[in-house]
Amino acid sequence: MPSVIYHRAYSRYSFGATHPFNPVRVEMMLDLLDALGHPARTVAPEPATREDLLRVHAEYYVRRVEALGAGEEVPDCGDYGLGTPDTPAFRGMDEATRWLVGGTLHGARLICEEGEKRVLQLGGGLHHARRNYASGFCVYNDLAIAIDYLTRHGLWVAYLDIDVHHGDGVQQILYEDKRVMTISLHESGQFLFPGTGSVHELGAELGRGLKLNLPLEPFTEGESYLEVFDQVVPAALRQFRPGILVVQAGADAHFDDPLADLMLTTHDYEAIFRRILEWADLFTAGRVLFTLGGGYALGAAPRVWTILHLLIHDLPVPGRLPEAWRRKWTATLEGTVPAALHDPTPSRFDIPNRQEIAHRNRQTGERLLEGARPYWF
Amino acid sequence: MLVRDIMSSPAMAIPAATTLADAYRFMREKGIRHLPVIEGPDLVGVITDRDLRLATSSLVPSPFAPGSPVSTVMSRPPLTADAADPVEDAARTMREKKIGCLPVVEDGRLIGIITGLDLLDALMRMTGADKPSGRLEVRLPDHPGELARLTATLSERGLNVHSILTYPEGPDSVRTVLRIGSIEIRALAGDLRRQRFEVVWPPEKPCPR
Ligand SMILES: [Zn+2]
Repeated sequence: MPSVIYHRAYSRYSFGATHPFNPVRVEMMLDLLDALGHPARTVAPEPATREDLLRVHAEYYVRRVEALGAGEEVPDCGDYGLGTPDTPAFRGMDEATRWLVGGTLHGARLICEEGEKRVLQLGGGLHHARRNYASGFCVYNDLAIAIDYLTRHGLWVAYLDIDVHHGDGVQQILYEDKRVMTISLHESGQFLFPGTGSVHELGAELGRGLKLNLPLEPFTEGESYLEVFDQVVPAALRQFRPGILVVQAGADAHFDDPLADLMLTTHDYEAIFRRILEWADLFTAGRVLFTLGGGYALGAAPRVWTILHLLIHDLPVPGRLPEAWRRKWTATLEGTVPAALHDPTPSRFDIPNRQEIAHRNRQTGERLLEGARPYWF
Repeated sequence: MLVRDIMSSPAMAIPAATTLADAYRFMREKGIRHLPVIEGPDLVGVITDRDLRLATSSLVPSPFAPGSPVSTVMSRPPLTADAADPVEDAARTMREKKIGCLPVVEDGRLIGIITGLDLLDALMRMTGADKPSGRLEVRLPDHPGELARLTATLSERGLNVHSILTYPEGPDSVRTVLRIGSIEIRALAGDLRRQRFEVVWPPEKPCPR
């Protein structure tokens, strides 16, 4: 039986009602699972301790987050990415983030200590946070902290990041680590935040060849996405032989997402999740830890993650979207209420240079493998 | 951005009497390709790994012996940059003379060195590519005050601009590319469009049909 990790305190990680990183997304997802007759049975984590944070973060950085969370003035907080429009300070910021970190850590412990196979953490995925720098809505890096725990307990980790933004914080923190492979698929940094994640960023020292980046063209659709996904990910996993997959399952590559420019549908997400579960069975004895991540279209992200939840539990994905749920969330969704759990099929978009986009993505995949392979043997 | 902001300092240097073999070994050990040559406190030349390999190659008619002093093959007098020069001046000198490095002097004293790689780092810093940031591209009419109107809008929102590049596009317009320290460039682009700015990137997203 897979484990789902959640605590009501997760909703305290909130930057205000108008900020896109909104806890209502998870609330909508849990409500949708209820309405579908598959309520999430969640286990509660403990918040991470200060010591847990210091495995990855600088003490002077943690101290500043604590001070801001206590309502104190921190004049130089901007130098650490804190108190910015993207990552504003809020009361209880330190504790709220430690809850999310604690959840991801709890998932790692369940797998390491209790032999759990599939874990879904209904939060976290704060992949932009760096050792001493907050960025892109991310304060502490729950993923890097959980990965550090896993590697110290003998599991080599393949980290797979399907959020539309480059997983720069995780990559940077683990750049020289030979026990961790990171694979990030994202919209090219030439166009999208945070700007990094080119095929040339391959890791350093003993970690060289183990940090993989697939920057995709704006307006990439599912067919091309899945093609390069299949081209790169299984080859890398076969080579690295990880003990566990850690997946940042951001939903912001969806076509409706307001922050980015990829064009995935819920059908594409279902295909991606099915592949990940299949590869976990094939390469990591089924061990996989999913976190949520970005995903800012309220009409899309809760559906994507509901599909993930159903697939993890080997449940069928129904076509309908319960009327009660649609009615309840109509106001929140501001008129763009989806008709079904899945996007309408076929979803087609007016993309004039579709062939060229697919061609360029294919070449990016090839260049990535050409660059990394010499370090694999 | 000044040369002092991007140079490697202190610079390693070798005495003019050092043998070619020792200079080569020193470069290999330190992982460098350019070395200032000194005589006492004075900078007298520059030698590169390429100079050493050419001078001693068996392909040249009369190669230098590995025991010859570097003073026999170094470039002299050395071209230098001043620590207070703007980096673009140093870049122009290196490009025009087709050289890979410039020793940096201050009051006649060797205090550092810049290489082509340092200039590439400077380019990345100038374009804001080394900080988490998103790209905004706007086409502005080529009138005074337009860029100011744009940056005023950004500063009202508390956004940190890491870099601005502006270049002429046609007779009446300029293209402005900004790297902004925010993940929310699309929302910003929407606001700017409402204020009648012509935003080139990010574009409107294709709609499902
Ligand atoms: Zn994202």
